[in-house]
Amino acid sequence: MGTKYDVIVIGGGHNGLVNAAYLAKAGKQVLVLERRHVLGGAAVTEEIFPGFKFSVCSYVVSLLRPEIIRDLDLPRHGLEILPLDGTLTPMLNGDHLWRTNDYAHTKREIGRHSKLDAEAYPQFGQAMVQMCKFVRPILGMTPPDPTKLNWDTISKLLFLGRRFKNLPYQEKYDQVQLMTMSAADLLDQWFETDALKATMSASGIIGTFLGVRSPGTAYVLLHHYMGEIDGAFRAWGFSRGGTGAISMAIAGAAREAGVEIRTEAPIARILVKDGKAKGVVLTNGDEIHADVVSSSVDPNLTFLKLMDADRDLPADFVEEVRRYKYRGSSGKVNLALDGLPDFKCIPGPGPHLRGAISISPAVEYMERAYDDAKYGHHSRRPYIDMVIPSLTDPSVAPPGKHVMSCFVQYAPYKLAEGTWDEKRESFGDTVINTIAEHAPNIKNIIIGRQVVTPLDMERTFGLTEGNIFQGELSLEQLFFLRPAPGWANYRTPIRNLYMCGSATHPGGGIMGAPGRLAALETLKDWRKGGIG
Amino acid sequence: MSGARDVVIIGAGHNALVTAFYLARKGLKPLVLERRSVVGGAAITDEFAPGFRCSTLAHAVGPVRADIVRDMDLAKHGLQMVDPDPRLFAPTRDGRAVVLQEDTAKTADGLRSLSAKDAAKYLEFVQAIGRIGATLAPLLSMTPPDIDRPTVSDLWGLLMTGKDIRGLGKKDMFRLLRWGPMAVADLMSEFFETDALRATLAARGIFGTYFGPWSAGSTTILLLRAAADGHPAGPSSYPKGGMGALTQAMAAAAKAAGAEIRTGADVGRIIVRDGRAHGVILKSGEEIMAGTVVSSADPRRTFFGLIEPVHIEPDLAQKVRNIRCRGTVAKVNLALDGLPTFTAVRSAGAAAASILGGRIHIGPEIDTLERAFDAVKYGEMSSEPYLDAQIPTLGDPSLAPAGKHVMSICFQYAPYKLKNGDWATGRDTLAETTIKTLAQYAPDLPKLVRSVQVITPADLEETWSLTGGHIFHAELALDQLFTMRPILGHARYRAPIRALYLCGSGTHPGLGLNGGSGANAAREILKDLKR
Repeated sequence: MGTKYDVIVIGGGHNGLVNAAYLAKAGKQVLVLERRHVLGGAAVTEEIFPGFKFSVCSYVVSLLRPEIIRDLDLPRHGLEILPLDGTLTPMLNGDHLWRTNDYAHTKREIGRHSKLDAEAYPQFGQAMVQMCKFVRPILGMTPPDPTKLNWDTISKLLFLGRRFKNLPYQEKYDQVQLMTMSAADLLDQWFETDALKATMSASGIIGTFLGVRSPGTAYVLLHHYMGEIDGAFRAWGFSRGGTGAISMAIAGAAREAGVEIRTEAPIARILVKDGKAKGVVLTNGDEIHADVVSSSVDPNLTFLKLMDADRDLPADFVEEVRRYKYRGSSGKVNLALDGLPDFKCIPGPGPHLRGAISISPAVEYMERAYDDAKYGHHSRRPYIDMVIPSLTDPSVAPPGKHVMSCFVQYAPYKLAEGTWDEKRESFGDTVINTIAEHAPNIKNIIIGRQVVTPLDMERTFGLTEGNIFQGELSLEQLFFLRPAPGWANYRTPIRNLYMCGSATHPGGGIMGAPGRLAALETLKDWRKGGIG
Repeated sequence: MSGARDVVIIGAGHNALVTAFYLARKGLKPLVLERRSVVGGAAITDEFAPGFRCSTLAHAVGPVRADIVRDMDLAKHGLQMVDPDPRLFAPTRDGRAVVLQEDTAKTADGLRSLSAKDAAKYLEFVQAIGRIGATLAPLLSMTPPDIDRPTVSDLWGLLMTGKDIRGLGKKDMFRLLRWGPMAVADLMSEFFETDALRATLAARGIFGTYFGPWSAGSTTILLLRAAADGHPAGPSSYPKGGMGALTQAMAAAAKAAGAEIRTGADVGRIIVRDGRAHGVILKSGEEIMAGTVVSSADPRRTFFGLIEPVHIEPDLAQKVRNIRCRGTVAKVNLALDGLPTFTAVRSAGAAAASILGGRIHIGPEIDTLERAFDAVKYGEMSSEPYLDAQIPTLGDPSLAPAGKHVMSICFQYAPYKLKNGDWATGRDTLAETTIKTLAQYAPDLPKLVRSVQVITPADLEETWSLTGGHIFHAELALDQLFTMRPILGHARYRAPIRALYLCGSGTHPGLGLNGGSGANAAREILKDLKR
């Protein structure tokens, strides 16, 4: 292998591709190596059944940073976000709660259940938007190291401190609650309708091993509120052609910037010589050299699988890496349907099927689902977030047919008994039965079913313990603690080796921020002559 | 105003008595008004069965801050502490036990029989907790800073603590940052492999809270308690004569300093005019005017029970309503005909007595504690509870007739409101559950039980006016500590009504029987009164 690159990016997921694109736009010669035959990592579209295109893992988009969409000119590369309108919650009493982007309709609908909640709902939205505005700059900031009193730390901490100090009292109050409370406790302060609280609190637990009553989940709730499409807060959508199309658009931008992308190029190990990364060795034995290695895979793979941790890394760093918590808690069931599900609460087809359908009828229902997981069982009656993208984007299913994507929590990676290979289908059945309680016809219209367990996510996508965010979004694993205390600035104890995946600040979701921030930090070191 | 008092203090719990003492010491003449016939609030001793006395509610100190014990000279006023060693005994299901002694090395020796690895790790744990606790200690005696206009002294205080924290060194600093929001179960699994040891040490993060060991943030509670007492077991000391002896000594100290205490004086409401407190009106109709009013009642009761709604801004009222105080602790006191034989105690006689002399932790697995917690989330009492017990007669035989014993037990978790049924009937189930659970470890206990006293969260509210039956007045959660206790922006012991102060456990630091809230409040009051 004669050619030597400036940068090798490990992993062709959305963060790896964003990282590569930014580095290439800065004039670097970049090679992206993807283990699988498809790009996108967990943001991937695959035709599992002929004619049916599944967004196998990640299925809705909202968090993708606007600056990235701009910088990489993604729309020109085929990115098209289709609106996901509303959320339908079937209730235990046969009634329903159907919120849409139509403000007046939503207010009327919530008012059916509680006048007070109808009043509080827009106020809550307002408060959240304020909170998002406060937190948003942090998403675009490389975390400081609070143990170092250097100018970078001081200025950033002062910046945050001043921002907080200047908030009006009420917003200070909301902010501290948001950073510390549980989603359910927070919502209890605003609303009385159980189904409303349950469905809203669900955003607080996605991808975590926490329950809606666990402190810290209020922040994750905000994290999901952060979603913005064309600047509009709290708007979620599909990408035409499935989430894979997002990765394709980013890949397009990257290629245009000169990035070379190789699929089916699994890496055996990262070349490390006297404390410096020199390149990688593929499983086929090929050695590829580069000045910089940028890893978008999680710390477990990067440091414990792709190198000799005990030889190449300081012991206490290895300790931190081993301690970093993944604990995947969610699964995915993707369905190829012969028709549309018929919900008892709103019979027949209609606009209510175009948005998200959330099986989260009560806060206690959510909490009990979590209790099962705590003791190593998948929820007997899980929280399910369903979408039917084929209604908005017919290109993903044959005419008259549909695909339904079901995100399921909880499905703990570590089972008290048995293995996920044994439990996969029974887990699938549990999900279908739970859906059938609300849409009885579901069983008759399924023509294909793909069950993705945490174990499958680990095997197929290289997500350790099946965590969709490359590590839990719990308070002790955020900002300057993500992924390891003192190593939140995308650098590693090994010179020329960088991290650019969701395991780094600001974490998971199809956001792209880690990839971008890592690229900026890498380029900073380059300018300072710190590379090589 | 003729006959006006300079200060009235509502309630005569330990914090109120501490406040009274410090105010009196500076020449004020505080009048302490206690609704019940005895002072002491939740720190009292009662004869619950003929000849059997014990600490009715709290049975171990937090501990009381050393400077407070010194200033009040409690020893001179009759306080004698019993300091058991071992501090804690935690039987396992297989007839073994975790025994935490005063001495770290000895404890480690004992742990070796459970796991050599854990025995080795124990030392590291003791040191880490000790160091971090010591660094946090200044926070407990500090008045939370003003979030809008931090004063020089606030900043200085924080700076000093910050300095100490930086003194921890990188590893501990990051531990502090990382551990704070963590679940105490996670913290334990970072150190130990033995479930029994994990559960025993984790308990300190959940006692008296609406937390299970898997609740994020429970580590903060453990660390803050370690700030008051660095020993991993937590304090197990108790006064001779039961907890009432502590508050009796405090009352004596306060009186000696010039405070006046009236029992049977039930405050109906606080007199508020043009945004200022002017005194109180007793249920009897008697008016007592005062320049300063201090309430040791919990925040909800103070704002909703003692002040007319017109004096409280709507959004303040909203925030007070938001204060979470869902109690989870019930108390069971047993009169025993003899000392129960724990399977895990191989020795007999004096040796046995010494092992059982401290606190007894029941709940040998993390999952057992967590399942106990699950129940309360759904309005049920734990079917296999976490018990924190004590046999004070081992250190203080005077509490029971010769040869007899009393066992004082904190039962977790018991919901404030039962989803099915009520506490009138639920209390018997709770007693049975307690005895059944203890019998798993001390089979002969049931037949030794001569009499049982049960105090449910409902009783705590009814008899001791603890809103929601919460023994710490307000939940110990990340969002209700320090500058947020009881409400962000009102954490400096000054109520949003002029001349009205809070000095109860619902203010910083709360956490337990340590007198911190009372002492801190007194300091702020004296500042305002230029004393």
